[in-house]
Amino acid sequence: MKNIFFIIIAIVLFSSCEKVIEIDLNSTAPQIVIEGEMSDQVGIYTVKMSKTVNFSDANNYPPVQGATVTISDNTGLSETLTESAAGIYKTHNLLGVGGRTYTLNVNIAGKIYTAVSVLPTLVPLQAIRIIPSNLLRPGQDTGARFIAIPNYIDPFSIGNCYQFIQTLNGKKDNAFIVFNDNVNNGMPNQRPIFSRDLELKKGDTLTVEMRNIDKTVYDYFYSLNQSSGNGPGGGSTPANPVSNIVGGALGYFSAYSTSKKTVIVQ
Amino acid sequence: MFKKIILGLLLWVSMTHLMAQNTKFTISGTIRDAKTGEELIGASVVVQELAGIGITCNEYGFYSLTLKSGSYTLKTSFIGYEPITNKVVLDKDLKLDINLSNGAELKEVIVSAKKQDENVTKAQMGVEKLDITEISKIPVLFGEKDVLKTLQLLPGVKSAGEGNSGFYVRGGSADQNLILLDEAPVYNASHLLGFFSTFNSDAIKDVTLIKGNSPAQYGGRLSSVLDVKMNEGNDKNYQVKGGIGLISSRVSVEGPIQKEKSSFLITGRRTYADVFLKLSDQFKDNSLYFYDFNAKANYRINDKNRIFASGYFGRDKLGFGSAFGIDWGNITGTLRWNSILNPKLFSNTSVIYSDYNYNIKVSATGTGFKINSQIQDWNLKQEFQYFPNTENSWRFGFNSIYHTLTPSRFQTDSGSRNPQISRFALENAVYANNTYTFNAKLNIDYGLRLSSYSILGGDTYNIYQNNRKSDSVVLAKGNWGKTYFNFEPRVSVSYKLTDYSSIKLAYSRNTQNLHLLSNSTSTSPTDQWIGNSYNIKPEISDQVGLGYFRNFANNAFEFSAETYYKNMQNQVDYKNGADINSAPDVESELLFGKGRAYGLELYLKKKTGKFTGWLSYTLSRTERQMDGISNNNWYAAKQDRTHDISIVGMYQLTTNWSLAANWVYYTGNAVTFPSGKYNISGKTIYYYTERNGYRMPAYHRMDLSATYEQKRTGRYQSSWNFGVYNAYARENAYTITFKDNPDDPTRTQAVQTALFKTIPSITYNFKF
Repeated sequence: MKNIFFIIIAIVLFSSCEKVIEIDLNSTAPQIVIEGEMSDQVGIYTVKMSKTVNFSDANNYPPVQGATVTISDNTGLSETLTESAAGIYKTHNLLGVGGRTYTLNVNIAGKIYTAVSVLPTLVPLQAIRIIPSNLLRPGQDTGARFIAIPNYIDPFSIGNCYQFIQTLNGKKDNAFIVFNDNVNNGMPNQRPIFSRDLELKKGDTLTVEMRNIDKTVYDYFYSLNQSSGNGPGGGSTPANPVSNIVGGALGYFSAYSTSKKTVIVQ
Repeated sequence: MFKKIILGLLLWVSMTHLMAQNTKFTISGTIRDAKTGEELIGASVVVQELAGIGITCNEYGFYSLTLKSGSYTLKTSFIGYEPITNKVVLDKDLKLDINLSNGAELKEVIVSAKKQDENVTKAQMGVEKLDITEISKIPVLFGEKDVLKTLQLLPGVKSAGEGNSGFYVRGGSADQNLILLDEAPVYNASHLLGFFSTFNSDAIKDVTLIKGNSPAQYGGRLSSVLDVKMNEGNDKNYQVKGGIGLISSRVSVEGPIQKEKSSFLITGRRTYADVFLKLSDQFKDNSLYFYDFNAKANYRINDKNRIFASGYFGRDKLGFGSAFGIDWGNITGTLRWNSILNPKLFSNTSVIYSDYNYNIKVSATGTGFKINSQIQDWNLKQEFQYFPNTENSWRFGFNSIYHTLTPSRFQTDSGSRNPQISRFALENAVYANNTYTFNAKLNIDYGLRLSSYSILGGDTYNIYQNNRKSDSVVLAKGNWGKTYFNFEPRVSVSYKLTDYSSIKLAYSRNTQNLHLLSNSTSTSPTDQWIGNSYNIKPEISDQVGLGYFRNFANNAFEFSAETYYKNMQNQVDYKNGADINSAPDVESELLFGKGRAYGLELYLKKKTGKFTGWLSYTLSRTERQMDGISNNNWYAAKQDRTHDISIVGMYQLTTNWSLAANWVYYTGNAVTFPSGKYNISGKTIYYYTERNGYRMPAYHRMDLSATYEQKRTGRYQSSWNFGVYNAYARENAYTITFKDNPDDPTRTQAVQTALFKTIPSITYNFKF
């Protein structure tokens, strides 16, 4: 919402001007970043580990090598991951099962990080509905832009959370899009997927992956979106997102169930 | 026998005469503008025979002086008016209404101050009074004169941001200012995202800002009271005033309903930036405007009783094609009855209504949702003012407010799981305040306010402990929930060191039962008001102030140095990453903590002559400590600005031309910038270490204006106002964003956005 205000302020006042500036930002000791994902689909799951760098450095994030990484579930199953490339740890036989609780355990030179994620039971994505968008950028023609609504029915229980990943003509959209059922619990979904950088035009091929995610993972992405603030008028005070990793690392561990649909925009 | 009777009669006469020498009588009345019949708030009446004895009339122009019988010369004066002296023989209670003539009538303007040395003699400190005629000369953004923006040029008052009418007083947040329009609280005093205030200066008679040490009749906010009084309307002649500007216009009509018995005033204002939008192809579907109306009428029932009705209605509308619309606004209404019960006792009874609400509607095809929130008050106030003698004046009364708070709810067209249930509360206060002149040197102003806030039934209240719901209280309609009581003592003392200087000391406790939840770094119309609950306790502040006041050159210069220390308890803020719109209970998203603020304010004002103006400097620190933010350490609040300087100068060049300029400088706001970065799913994410650990670049700006008063033709008066905002085109940082460098994706960069460069303005004002 704040972004919309800002856009309006900016377009109305025309005279606003941007420039790149030099700011002397503090350096900090590198922090551990863990990005762990697993699903209910057969396959190899990955846990990526890297370190933060200073703002003025290039975007090269040093991998965390030589860590011991295990994922276990509440039935006693456990698997140790292997480092397949620097900082990338992979599973072998593990298969996520809806309803189970998974625990990620990471040991980096004696320091332990843990994260717990419940893999939700699958709520299937039934279809993707494409409708013309009336959220237009200034100057855009009506009818030129479309927007996708994922069709699914939210279960009656409270606390279901979803993540959507859109791939347009083979290119993955980077936006973190998450829904919860605070508003429309137990009802067919009506909300479209708003993504700032994605423009659907006639003839495009769109794939939508819908993930059922744990509430802690929803909180992570929600707060990550919230805190992309940038000073007065630009949003909320920035802060690190709320993570489900215990032990002082950045990032998240998400066990999710997933389904996918592809449509041609017309 | 006859002789005896004569003798006895003489004896009796002389005895009564002797007695009369010691008997006191009261002279009272109302002070008005001779031409318009407007009461002059704060005009002073001084008894010339009795050094140091005098009184300032109250907010309804009423004064009452109780003196020993005798002959006196009363000198009545008010800023911008020609003083008047009245000789009176006080041998019975007298009623004397005084009419003062506006200085403008006498070609050569003699600006004689209120009581010229009132700033030195009065016990109260931290009080700023704005001169309405000054406001029209000071340059402002878009040329729309604005009381709130002028206030920001005073010490201890900080602007909420570029071109913004929001303000912070002595380290308080924006919601800790009690903003009153004819006694009615205004919950959001800004239009157009802050670029305009809700106050149409054509309708305004008096503006007083009290920075924390307010007398006991005010309460309910921690940091300040901004008391704005509207004009009553000319009760002698019809008058039309207006102004045409580049992006807005305003007009006001006032006049008698029955001559010298009743009058009315109606003002209206609208911006038309959207008209220009319509002309452009790109933006033709967007709308962005506001309008507001003030209306007022009053009726003198008789010499002693008068009733007033006043109202404000304002609305902002902002639309983005057919997809997105938001509108918000305030409505206030005041019905007031003034009664002079006896020459020493004045009564004011008011029934007040206030309402603030906002609605957001998003209607993308096939789906839609809305978010709205409202706060509504019914308020009954009874106040007595009692003037027993020249040393004492009392104010006492009560105030009772019934609040209806409708929390913000996210609702789709197909409904919401969380029904929007309004909460009800009753806020009460009783108070007494005494102003006592101990002797010629020592003045004291002290009072006590007892306030309470009761949660009324109709909703379920959850109790949270350590971020988890531990219990809930179901309050059925008609039941009373928890009541919070607070004692709020206030005292101010002034001691005159010399005829031209004094020191003052003040302490006050204030409490606040309503809290504005805002997640944004500036205020936004969608911030919501919430009352005390089982988790949210009344905010409490204790402020001590010490000041030195000195006038120079026969009161032509005013100087003051004030220091303050303020301690704040039970401050409320959102958690990091709080879910604001769709959380089932917003109270689960809150954090609580405390605050402290301290500073030094220096102020030098030149009040008379061709060149007038002031210099103000504030050195201050404002900090917060919240459990759950920045490892529970103290951190600088966003409005913490170490240095804040304003220089305002006005120069009367010729009888037609006047010039004005102001320059402001302040330390950049405390902000949170990243201290590192990392990557999540291919996106650069920033790593933050501490809350508000960085500073925006320092802000500075100069504005210029020139006003040309055209020759008066008959009743018709007009003037042109030319202004330049940000005259040397300083690019002040409005936001600083961090992003990937578009030319080199392996790097990140900081981008600063400045909102305005130089903005010229031109306004035509007229009056007939």
